[in-house]
Amino acid sequence: MPKKTSPTGNRSKDRKRLKKQSPSILTPVLLIIFFVVAAVGVALYLKLSSTEGVRNQTSSINNSSTIASVLSTNGWTKGNGAAKAVLVEFGDFQCGACAAARLRISKIIEQYGSQLKVVFKQYPMQRIHRNAMIAAQAAEAAGQQFKFWEMHDLLFERQNRWAQVPDAHTIFLKYASELGLDLARFKRDMWDSKTKEKIYRDVMEGQIAQVQSVPAFFLNGKPLRNARDDAEFENLILEGIQSIQ
Amino acid sequence: MNKETTIHWLLVVASFIGMIDSAYIGFISLTDTLIPCGLTLGCDKVLSSPYSHLGNVSISWIGLLFYLLVASNSIFGLSGFRQAFKITLAASTLAFLITLYLLYIQIFILKAFCDYCLLSAFLVILILGLQLKLNFWGKTELSI
Repeated sequence: MPKKTSPTGNRSKDRKRLKKQSPSILTPVLLIIFFVVAAVGVALYLKLSSTEGVRNQTSSINNSSTIASVLSTNGWTKGNGAAKAVLVEFGDFQCGACAAARLRISKIIEQYGSQLKVVFKQYPMQRIHRNAMIAAQAAEAAGQQFKFWEMHDLLFERQNRWAQVPDAHTIFLKYASELGLDLARFKRDMWDSKTKEKIYRDVMEGQIAQVQSVPAFFLNGKPLRNARDDAEFENLILEGIQSIQ
Repeated sequence: MNKETTIHWLLVVASFIGMIDSAYIGFISLTDTLIPCGLTLGCDKVLSSPYSHLGNVSISWIGLLFYLLVASNSIFGLSGFRQAFKITLAASTLAFLITLYLLYIQIFILKAFCDYCLLSAFLVILILGLQLKLNFWGKTELSI
């Protein structure tokens, strides 16, 4: 049997050469880390710049951007539109506390509706409420046919029927049909980019006003502290109405 | 530059774009912000649908891990390690099947499309094609 020999005839030199040629693990690992950091960095930059763009757009609505001036102008209103006292609510249709607050607000409007303007603004918390955004879109679309408050009430009353289902929009179509809306127009408005933009503006206003949770109330431009019960809530509203008369 | 190197570079570039895309969607899913949707106008509908999440986690983070695997495999390939992660082809096939399912959801159930998801679908199909080329079709030619 012929003795195995190195082509060059020098084994130790070959071993050294092979060692030199064998790839180092460090370079690819560093490259991978670089790629991940770069990709995540670019994504974060894009995310921040797209949010900032809309934030600037919202700020340009009112450059003074004091809470009162931002909050009192837009939104769906109830009560006396000409009243000096203004209660603004940032709400999310999939939030249980907001559904409970609806009943409180109804009582307040019954009693003080002539002295108070109530404004509802959208604040869908999409991260925790998967159907909140399309519910907000449904309410806005109903609003285009002058049935915002009717849809608002239906969505809150029947919250547990649509909150966790995968295709909530089909349920909203049924609600629209119940309210006698033009369904073709409702569908079109629900997915219209302007509808989403309007909701987005509300959310941005809420962020400017430092809304941390929903429902968030602002009375005459000032955050309303949490009330323990209906009586305390009513007292706070009454104080607000009297202070501005 | 031989064909194998070119394919690895294409895979690195495709997975880098995929990582940006999925990380962007991932960051959006962590906040209560809407998303700018250029061509399709259906991003909110798609990305806020329950199909876009596994529990409370956006599936885009899983996409990010997939792109990271593909990029790592090709970077190791370019550095002289042949087929560092053998599961890459299997992962690409699985990603392709998931992509088909998600396209089905967008077309037939949600009836809405999302730019970022379509970009990801394109990248997954491209990656699978390149992986197949690397592993089977061009193997004899490539290994010369």
